[in-house]
Amino acid sequence: MNKSVQSQASGVESSFSPSMASGVSGLGSDVESELAQYLPHFSRMSEQLKQTSSQIENSVIDVCNSFQGIAQRARETVDRTKGFLGRDGEGSSDKRTFEGLIENCSGTLVKILKVTEEAGEMSRRAVERIREMDKASESINAAVQQLERIAVGNKILALNARIEAARAGRYGAGFAVVAMEVISQTDKSQKVNALVSGLIKNLRSLAGSTLDDLNRMNVEDQQRVEQCKHEVDESLRDMQGAHGEMKKMLTGMTDEGALLANDIGAAVRGLQFQDRTNQRIAHVIEDLGVLSTRLKTRFGEPADGDAASYEGFSSFTMREERAVAGIEEAESGAGEVELF
Amino acid sequence: MRKVLIVDDAVSMRQMVGFTLRQGGYDVVEAEHGQDALNKLQSTTVDLVLTDLNMPVMDGITLIQNLRRIPAMKSKPILMLTTEGLAAKKEQGKAAGATGWIVKPFDPEKLLQTLAKVLP
Repeated sequence: MNKSVQSQASGVESSFSPSMASGVSGLGSDVESELAQYLPHFSRMSEQLKQTSSQIENSVIDVCNSFQGIAQRARETVDRTKGFLGRDGEGSSDKRTFEGLIENCSGTLVKILKVTEEAGEMSRRAVERIREMDKASESINAAVQQLERIAVGNKILALNARIEAARAGRYGAGFAVVAMEVISQTDKSQKVNALVSGLIKNLRSLAGSTLDDLNRMNVEDQQRVEQCKHEVDESLRDMQGAHGEMKKMLTGMTDEGALLANDIGAAVRGLQFQDRTNQRIAHVIEDLGVLSTRLKTRFGEPADGDAASYEGFSSFTMREERAVAGIEEAESGAGEVELF
Repeated sequence: MRKVLIVDDAVSMRQMVGFTLRQGGYDVVEAEHGQDALNKLQSTTVDLVLTDLNMPVMDGITLIQNLRRIPAMKSKPILMLTTEGLAAKKEQGKAAGATGWIVKPFDPEKLLQTLAKVLP
């Protein structure tokens, strides 16, 4: 609070003393007639003081109304911010909060990664199965080779049977037919073996290239999943960081709002100078009235032509007024504006 | 919401007090002198009265005396808010039934603290 206002306010009682008026009766006639000339100006001075008082009050009301708007907006901002921060602090179950959004986003990304990982796992299982099938094909191939060896053995056996049938002459003729038939069947069996062997070869080649593809895909998937995990982690960290910053900023705004309310409170306290100033002006007006009445009683109502020039009262410049009030100018002409 | 009746002949003071109280979460009714306050209280009830001392038509002390005769206002807090700080005047206020005396210029925060203290 302004100390000068306080000290002024402590003297709000009327400064006019009745002895001042009664002392007039002892003045010389020249002084009396001089005083009588100024008598009509008292009412004008009173009116000016009333206007000044009213202007000050209106200005204070305007300022107060502005404060009302500022405070209202500040309060709304603080309430909204507090509401957001309050909701945000309650946990992430509320999807409207930033924390909730981050949590949801994180949850969704984790699910996507899990699905990708599951797909990778299935692919790995498929690789294993194809490997097992390849092993089975290898076993089949070995069995076919075994059959081929048996067929070759059968053929040699049939050839020997033919030789023996030829030696037996007429008695071995039937046996030679059987041997020929065995050779023929063995040829067919070898053809089938060769076909199966070819098919197994193709199957194994196909399985091998599929395995290569799947292995390459697996490695690439693994790398992509790792990369995605890394990027998601980084994004989530960034989002959490941004959220932290935003929260800090909003908390700061709330604090600023509280400070603004305090500043407005201090300004309201300061503005009350007007109440005391108006009271003081009212006392001065009252004193002027008393003085005017007493002078009128002493000298009678002045004639219209008796009034002294009013210019005598208003010839003070702002600089002179500041000098009278003891206010020094920091710089000559400071704050003055001249437009042409 | 608690309702406070502000009685002061200065519009600016009513504005400043009203502004402070609204910031503090109070509902506000205004009257420009004691008689105006009594008239307003015929159609509305309040939880607290905050009145100036020197006012035209009816001053603060007379207002308090009148208020204490109204059954609904017998136990309600009534605070004086005035530039007057003389002990004799304060005694007058106390005798009339004032709950407290606040000397202007008021500190907005202190004013709100005082209201919170005197309101049941």
